[in-house]
Amino acid sequence: MRQLAPKYSAWSLLCARVAGNDYWRPLWTGATLRDAYDVVIVGAGGHGLATAYHLARDHGVKRIAILEKRLLGYGNVGRNTTIVRSNYLLPENHYFYEDSLRRWETLSRDLNYNVMYSPRGVIDLAHSDGDMAALARRGNAMRVAGIDAELLDVRGLARFAPELDPKLARRFPVVGALLQRRGGTVRHDAVAWGYARAATTLGVDIIEDCEVIGVRSAAGVATGVETSRGYVKAERIVFAVAGHSGAIGAMLGVQMPIETHLLQAMVTEPVKPLISSVFVYVYPHGEVYLTQSDRGGVVMGGNLDGFPSYTREGQWFRLEDVVQSAVALLPQLASLRILRHWAGTNDMSMDGSFIIDRIRYDNVFINGGWCYGGFKAIPASGAACAAFVATGTAPDLIRHHSLSRFRTGQLLDERGGGPFPVRQ
Amino acid sequence: MSRLYCPFCGARELEEFRFHKTLAEPGANAYEEVYERINRLAVSMEHWQHVHGCRAWLLVRRNPSDGSVLDVRLLARTAVLPHERA
Repeated sequence: MRQLAPKYSAWSLLCARVAGNDYWRPLWTGATLRDAYDVVIVGAGGHGLATAYHLARDHGVKRIAILEKRLLGYGNVGRNTTIVRSNYLLPENHYFYEDSLRRWETLSRDLNYNVMYSPRGVIDLAHSDGDMAALARRGNAMRVAGIDAELLDVRGLARFAPELDPKLARRFPVVGALLQRRGGTVRHDAVAWGYARAATTLGVDIIEDCEVIGVRSAAGVATGVETSRGYVKAERIVFAVAGHSGAIGAMLGVQMPIETHLLQAMVTEPVKPLISSVFVYVYPHGEVYLTQSDRGGVVMGGNLDGFPSYTREGQWFRLEDVVQSAVALLPQLASLRILRHWAGTNDMSMDGSFIIDRIRYDNVFINGGWCYGGFKAIPASGAACAAFVATGTAPDLIRHHSLSRFRTGQLLDERGGGPFPVRQ
Repeated sequence: MSRLYCPFCGARELEEFRFHKTLAEPGANAYEEVYERINRLAVSMEHWQHVHGCRAWLLVRRNPSDGSVLDVRLLARTAVLPHERA
């Protein structure tokens, strides 16, 4: 086994300074696949890695494997807009995301790895009185729950984000905003790497290039998974496969309340600090979010492409929508060039909220349906999913996010948009 | 997949069309029809509308894994009227 990176500290950085590049070691090891595990987690993305970490750390589960079809952190944890926030309307959602935000605040210390949590504030912009009323309602719901939210008028907004010149004539004038100061961004790749390093240190086997093809069962209980590297016995199985939960459902013969859609994001060339926080706003054709990465690139994202797809090929018209909206808000962005652009597969559920529940078998779990909220949920999802898998009882934070809620009518429809994944 | 073939208008830009929903298997009950999806990787039957064109409703057979369109038909022509049922 290769030697792992040591615990990072001021002292270790000093040692690295003296020893040169030879000091640095891999963050996780290429483990060998064993025949049997207590828990097999499918998918080495944010949720899979965090679940493994919490199973090992909080619940003392010894034999854990993470099976990954391709490379660690190769899916949505590496292709999102890195925004973290807990400004949700429904209690079932805002308590969960608040738990997540609290974990983000201390994650770098917990993992001994700098995930660059940057509480620069998340601002939802209002363009009309109707928008203001909706934001006030959401902000009040948050404040009742004890989550920070501030409603800003134009002057307050100009003080907080001077780059949004309120005097500038815009197609859709800005009339106010809802601010969550503790919201912000986190370095997404560092989250995958940090969890992978911490999990490996706790003895979790991370197996890349190992595709799960099926689940074997006996007497109504799953006994293991068929993989591209052979059969692996497992006491419990967790699927955390981001945009492919629907395909897992098809594999298990379960129809899922999920469709897979494409969501695009793009980054411009790096420039000097220009955008001080995260801007989220809704134009008639859809939502837009803007932020500036620590490297200086302006990160932009928008709505879904609009139809189910696994291709990861973004539609040109959606890219155009997002860029036009960005320029309409901040005209100075027009001179920037787009450096990178990508589309990721999103699990879109029927009510826009996530699902963590048993699926088909008593010992098989699904962690999916994250819609737009996957990245920001990683720490809370890992902790809650691990508790569910270890104890067999869903913790209160995710009790409402069951698969059966669609059948019983207890939907968590944040926007009140109805059972249309494409509109969530 | 950047264009879709409309039986009235010919091949048109995808942004002229709007995806409505993926169809359930024949015989699905109301709950399955509304809330559940089969998520087939190879073939998906869908309702689309040419909203920014002739506004015709279309039945589209598509492969969501590679984005290819297998078949587009007018939805109106697929209806089986009660007296035509066996």
